[in-house]
Amino acid sequence: MPRLLSLLSGPEDVGRSRWFWAAFVAVCIVLFVSPLWQSEFEATNNAYYLLNVPTALGLALLWGYCGILSFGQVAYFGIAGYVYGIVAGNMVGDSAGPIVGSLCGLAVCAIVSAIFGYFVFYGRVQNWIVPILTLVLSLLLETFLGQTAGYQWRVGTVQLGGYNGMTGIPAFQIGSYVITGYSFFYFVLIIVLVIYLALRLLVNSRHGKVMLAIREDAIRTELLGYDIRARQLVVFVIAAILAGVSGLLYVQWGNYITPSQVGLLQASLPVIWVAVGGRESLLAVLLSTCALNWLNYTLSSEGYQYALIIIGALLVVVMLFFPSGIVVTLAREVPKHGWRALLGWGDGAGK
Amino acid sequence: MSEPILRTEALTKRFDGVVATDDVSISVPRGELRCIIGPNGAGKSTLFALLCGIQRPDAGRVLLKGEDVTRLLAFQRVRRGIGLTFQTNRAFHRLSVRQNLSAVLQISRADRPADADERYRFALDRFGLDAESEMPAKELPHHRLQWLEIAMVLAAGPDIVLLDEPTAGMSIDETLQTGAVLKHLNASGLTIVVVEHDVAFVRDVAQRITVVHQGRVFAEGTVDEITEHADVRRIYLGQA
Amino acid sequence: MDSFATVISVLYQFATNGAFLLLSALGLIVILGMMNIINLAHGELMMMGAYTASIAWHRGVPFWLCAILAFVVVGLFGALLERTIIRRFYGRELGALVVTWGISLILSQGALAVFGPFLPAIPIPGGSVAVGQYSFSVYWLTNIGLACLLIIGLWALYNHTTFGLQARAAMQNAAMARALGVDTGRIYTLTFSLGAGLAGFSGALFAPTVSIAPFMGQQFVAPAFITVVVGGATNVITGAVGSSLLLSLVKTPVGFLLGAFVGTVALLLAALVIIRLMPDGVSAVIQRRIDRRNRFA
Repeated sequence: MPRLLSLLSGPEDVGRSRWFWAAFVAVCIVLFVSPLWQSEFEATNNAYYLLNVPTALGLALLWGYCGILSFGQVAYFGIAGYVYGIVAGNMVGDSAGPIVGSLCGLAVCAIVSAIFGYFVFYGRVQNWIVPILTLVLSLLLETFLGQTAGYQWRVGTVQLGGYNGMTGIPAFQIGSYVITGYSFFYFVLIIVLVIYLALRLLVNSRHGKVMLAIREDAIRTELLGYDIRARQLVVFVIAAILAGVSGLLYVQWGNYITPSQVGLLQASLPVIWVAVGGRESLLAVLLSTCALNWLNYTLSSEGYQYALIIIGALLVVVMLFFPSGIVVTLAREVPKHGWRALLGWGDGAGK
Repeated sequence: MSEPILRTEALTKRFDGVVATDDVSISVPRGELRCIIGPNGAGKSTLFALLCGIQRPDAGRVLLKGEDVTRLLAFQRVRRGIGLTFQTNRAFHRLSVRQNLSAVLQISRADRPADADERYRFALDRFGLDAESEMPAKELPHHRLQWLEIAMVLAAGPDIVLLDEPTAGMSIDETLQTGAVLKHLNASGLTIVVVEHDVAFVRDVAQRITVVHQGRVFAEGTVDEITEHADVRRIYLGQA
Repeated sequence: MDSFATVISVLYQFATNGAFLLLSALGLIVILGMMNIINLAHGELMMMGAYTASIAWHRGVPFWLCAILAFVVVGLFGALLERTIIRRFYGRELGALVVTWGISLILSQGALAVFGPFLPAIPIPGGSVAVGQYSFSVYWLTNIGLACLLIIGLWALYNHTTFGLQARAAMQNAAMARALGVDTGRIYTLTFSLGAGLAGFSGALFAPTVSIAPFMGQQFVAPAFITVVVGGATNVITGAVGSSLLLSLVKTPVGFLLGAFVGTVALLLAALVIIRLMPDGVSAVIQRRIDRRNRFA
């Protein structure tokens, strides 16, 4: 147990002190009791911000901790969602349907990413090829799904639905208890917390240390005796499964999924969340994902058509001036130099 | 007669028509401290790359502890007991000293020789490296950075290490210290092959010297034999 | 007679697919070969070219002039982008990828906000030519010809001009080139501008075949990226030509038998296999052959 705790509090993420954990627990408590003053609609919205976190954490793991940039995480989001829809949709009435559907969804994510990853990592391709090919996979998936309109495009009793997507996706249920509304919020919250803590354990573990080494200098790591191809592949599959989890949660939230979920626009979002928060910190990514999703929703719902332009501009600004991410930069520079130095005032300002 | 720990047979490597390594057959007995010298561009780094598996030869074989490892990938060779430091320092510069060393120590090597940890700790101690230091590696002075990479390689528990110009950029004292540590490690049984330019260093540590020129083994012998060798002097002075 | 026409038809399909891939990817390859950066705003630059062409054409400008205008306008925009943003990312390939993606978001969403969901279409220029029972579109024959001309033009640019010489020097070893007096900053700006201009030109060329909308660049992005991945960064000309030809060899039969979409999927699968065998792309393999021959010449 003490070893577990020390792993959790290991140095590979922002926030280690007792103050941090106290604050963390406090925030968790607040979140858990929030339904007291949140309407079911608001709680469901909050759940929406949260359900995107696993995708972002997976990308942070892949990019920030292992140095592999993937632009196509949303492909696995979509695969899991559609596969769940197909399997659970065909098993309506069977209470095991959702669970089987979920497992199938994640399994397909794992298989596809493993095959894809094999070609890419065992081919030892140059760095820039991975983001390009993962994006291409996502785009092709979108194109394929987009042209599945028509009755002939169905699996069992479930239609794929073309550009309009798949609707009427069954909600997750445990036994006969259907998870929706407030219970859905708790469902997502718990899953996200478990994933975050588990990833924190991972990055502080032996495997995490080797991942960092691979990120820094893959050849040097290989010449210390590690099979870097296998390790990269494993991380890639983990990230895919995490994106799949988000996809599964998404189809619970809306009971539908469309091809645009794997399109170019959606594909850019995880990259933005991770880049803005700071890819080398799981916590930063968790915070920025929630914040940016909230921002996107707020801007869009006000009828503000410039929402995505603002987010695109935010990405450019962050890449130019906060390359380590906003949250990470704050977390690193403020304790060292104080707020004034960060804004350029005072002497001895940071780098 | 025990098998040499490292042996090559007619090792050849061409890059776009240039023969970087030409029919090289060398043999390093267990426990030797071998220096490889030669003019710049002679192909020493390529030879190292071929030995540890970063490059594949066009012809020839590499045998590690009697086993043909020519077809094996780099990490597979490392697991069989060979280590390498690079000509340009390749410790993890952005990571702290602690992170650098802990990255290596994750290898669970059941077949780690009993004295691996001993050698590693000895190097840490003699090189003055603090394994818990959070200082980013790139802030270390150059010689300490070189020593860090050597310590990292030792932590993996190799039976033979290839060091590519470890004392480049070091002062005389630092070079002497490096030599002393290497000699001590060698006395404990570690086979060491060093590419070096520093004549004093070579004289101090080498038990045997291999001279490489234009990708071929030009000469081989003890320190005295090589320094007396008229042709070796000639190739260094550019009359080859 | 019939089989002659069939052969011509197959060759035509092959050349059309190759020209499509080449024209889609050329701008990307020029930039990649020089700066090792993949410009993710490439699709949006093509869109800008198409928009320029649409606006100009509907004001009575002849189509060929629209395409040239698109080249100039998008090229200038590319120069602006390079000077303000791109140049801060040299040496940071992944960072460049991400920032160009942000730019692409701004451009596509911006186009939507400013111009609305559609721009008026351009009809396909030219008629068709009949050979046997097949008819071939003059428009695509021109595109094939243009693709060849562009390649020849680029080859001449890189091998017979001062700019080309300096560019090749900067590609091989930027620091050395600078030490020899080459203004690499200017070379990079011009190269990015050229790459953007080529994207705009291609966008204008393809405008008659698509609906001119803010996200139209998307459909070219997948084939363009695949072409670039297979081509590699070693040599612009050989990469572009080799990759387009190789991929067209895959796409033509598959597309003919199973439809255009499956053809594009086959491209991705082919790319995965090819990079497993040639991780640095077709251009690297060809370059090695050329170097080897030069050594023994």
